[in-house]
Amino acid sequence: MKRKNSIMGMAFFGPALVLLTLFLFLPMLLTFGFSFTDYFALNPELTHFVGLENYINIFKDELFVQSFLNTVKFVIIIVPLQCGGALLLALAINKCAHCKKYFKVAFFVPVVMSLAVVSTLWMQIYSPEGILNTLLANVGIDTQPFIHSADQALPSIAIMSVWQGVGYQMIIFLGGLQNINPALYEAAEMDHASGWQKFKDITLPELKPLCIFVFITVTIGAFRMLVQPMVMTGGGPDHSTYTIVYDIYETGTVNWEMGLASTMAIVFTIFVVILTIIQNTLTKDKEGRKHVHKKAKTN
Amino acid sequence: MKRRLMYLTAMLLAFSAVGLTGCQQKDPEPGDIAGYDEGESYLSIWVHSIEDTEEGQAYKESVETFNEAYDGKYFADIEFVPRNDSGGGYSDKVNASVMAGGLPDVLTVDGPNISAYAANGIIQPLADLTEEEENEYLPSIIEQGTVNDELYALGVMESSVGLYYNKDILEEAGIEVPDADHPWTWSEFTDILEELKPLMDEKDGYPLDMTFPVGETSIYYFAPFVWSDGGELVSDDGLTVDGYFNSEQTADAMNYFRSIVENEYMSEAPIDHLFESGRAAFKFDGAWEVNTVYTSYPDINLGVAPYVVSDNWDGGTYTPTGSWAFAASSETEDIEGATELVKWMSGAESGIRIWEMAKSFPSTYEAFENIDVFQTDENYAALYDQLSTYGHPRPKTPVYPQVSTSFQEVLESVALGGKDTQAELDKAVDRIDQKLERYTRE
Repeated sequence: MKRKNSIMGMAFFGPALVLLTLFLFLPMLLTFGFSFTDYFALNPELTHFVGLENYINIFKDELFVQSFLNTVKFVIIIVPLQCGGALLLALAINKCAHCKKYFKVAFFVPVVMSLAVVSTLWMQIYSPEGILNTLLANVGIDTQPFIHSADQALPSIAIMSVWQGVGYQMIIFLGGLQNINPALYEAAEMDHASGWQKFKDITLPELKPLCIFVFITVTIGAFRMLVQPMVMTGGGPDHSTYTIVYDIYETGTVNWEMGLASTMAIVFTIFVVILTIIQNTLTKDKEGRKHVHKKAKTN
Repeated sequence: MKRRLMYLTAMLLAFSAVGLTGCQQKDPEPGDIAGYDEGESYLSIWVHSIEDTEEGQAYKESVETFNEAYDGKYFADIEFVPRNDSGGGYSDKVNASVMAGGLPDVLTVDGPNISAYAANGIIQPLADLTEEEENEYLPSIIEQGTVNDELYALGVMESSVGLYYNKDILEEAGIEVPDADHPWTWSEFTDILEELKPLMDEKDGYPLDMTFPVGETSIYYFAPFVWSDGGELVSDDGLTVDGYFNSEQTADAMNYFRSIVENEYMSEAPIDHLFESGRAAFKFDGAWEVNTVYTSYPDINLGVAPYVVSDNWDGGTYTPTGSWAFAASSETEDIEGATELVKWMSGAESGIRIWEMAKSFPSTYEAFENIDVFQTDENYAALYDQLSTYGHPRPKTPVYPQVSTSFQEVLESVALGGKDTQAELDKAVDRIDQKLERYTRE
């Protein structure tokens, strides 16, 4: 019986394993290998082993460092806005008595739309004679350049990305909110707890595991920022919206420097993995402590 | 049981192996494809467009007529490889085939990439053309396709950029447009923009509708300013940029653009349809703009002025040119056949077809002479005249993508950002030099 099960398991698992090996693990290994070579896409025969040269060169490359910093800036703006925004929207919709479905769909629609479409749309919104500037003009604010200025382009794109992505996390939070046992709130009401107390002591702790999940996925998503700057600004003005993934793409496909691009990808992956581990341990620790805390309380 | 497991694994591996080899080059037998008969030699051809577009249909028809004309000798089989705006999807496929094998006999190459493809042995020189055959093409096409004195590629399309003007506005301001051989110089053009400034302010517009967008556009439209000043962006062999890209002439051109922005002759942030809505007197744009204005903005009274030149212009070629071209891949065993196909695909008949279906400029004199609008419409005639007399191909170097990107970056940071011209140019040269190392270290 056991053996039969294992064969059945293998039969289900096998195809996925083969495909994953072919299209994920193998490319990953190849990328790792290429990162130590000067592999050039137009002339693979001339590939040499160059050791750690690429790794040293990319950190000397001003553009790579700048794209790295830009990406970090994107993450710093997007993560709190998108996580917080999703939670606020979910709370609001949960409270909302009428048209719940309408708001749910309305906030979720941008997630379904293609990023390229959303980007093009926002280019119009941000344009000097676009809707946003017209609105600003009505309240007496001068025309803002938005994506056409090195100072405003990055925050403009970040805000647009939050708008685009926030619906997805909102749905996750909404599911979480609906799963909270109403008895908890009823008990709190009997103790005359205020709205804020209920949120702080019931809603947030109950949503904690979801918060961690959302936090980590949004962070990783923000690190992979590519389509928005590519469509809207081409990484400009003055490289102010050039991200790591964009740099990897340009280096690898446009300039054909696959070796160098592989190195960038490896460094980027290592960085994101380390960050995820840090996030994970930090949030886990707190959760552990809280658990102890709770236990102590019940005792 | 264990045997069954092994059987299963083996089967999966076999499937995946079939999947992999499925990507290899097609090597069909006569009769496999409709129209491919015994005794014909098989030629595969890749084009960078979608089959359903006008351009795709034009290529398809050209291949069909080729197969009729060479019935019994050659059979060409066309494959459409869609690409995104920057050529992404198509070049990915070419890159993958360079590594894994499976390049077709003939493929399309974007003009500025011909050098890189030639230097890396992806394409090979065409079989010899007679002088007569070569003379059928505009000089800019031959020059674009030539690397180290050997002809690699012939395009069916040429392209041009016009300095368009709004006739009504210029008339209102009392400005005369010079003839093609006496273009406005930079300082004359500045005076005109200055003169137009108050009038355009009244119209809530700018004298000039111009942007420095990311991508190929910037070098394509604005490198002519460097060339007309007597500069070049790279050396003749395409392997040196120091002393070219950062020369005085390049700096002059960049500073000129800075002065246009500083004096507010153009909007710093792009405004859509400024020219088309009658709020700009001039605009630099591709030849397609003529068709756009004729069909969508009939109220605009459109004219084509000669491309502006530096005060130091010596009468040499300087205006924008270049487009996708056909080349024979290094993997083809039948270079004679591939050359015949390249000639056919880029010839006069195909050129007339590409104009009629996709409104792209053809590449041969004969095609231009057989298309009425180039005789009857003054704007098309002016663009053709500019192209055939003053056309200058973009820099020929294996590191062209880096040169193009750098040009746009410097233009943007100098003209819009007000940064130090020479410092920016020198920085760009360092960056391009790094990429050139691969070709110069031998």
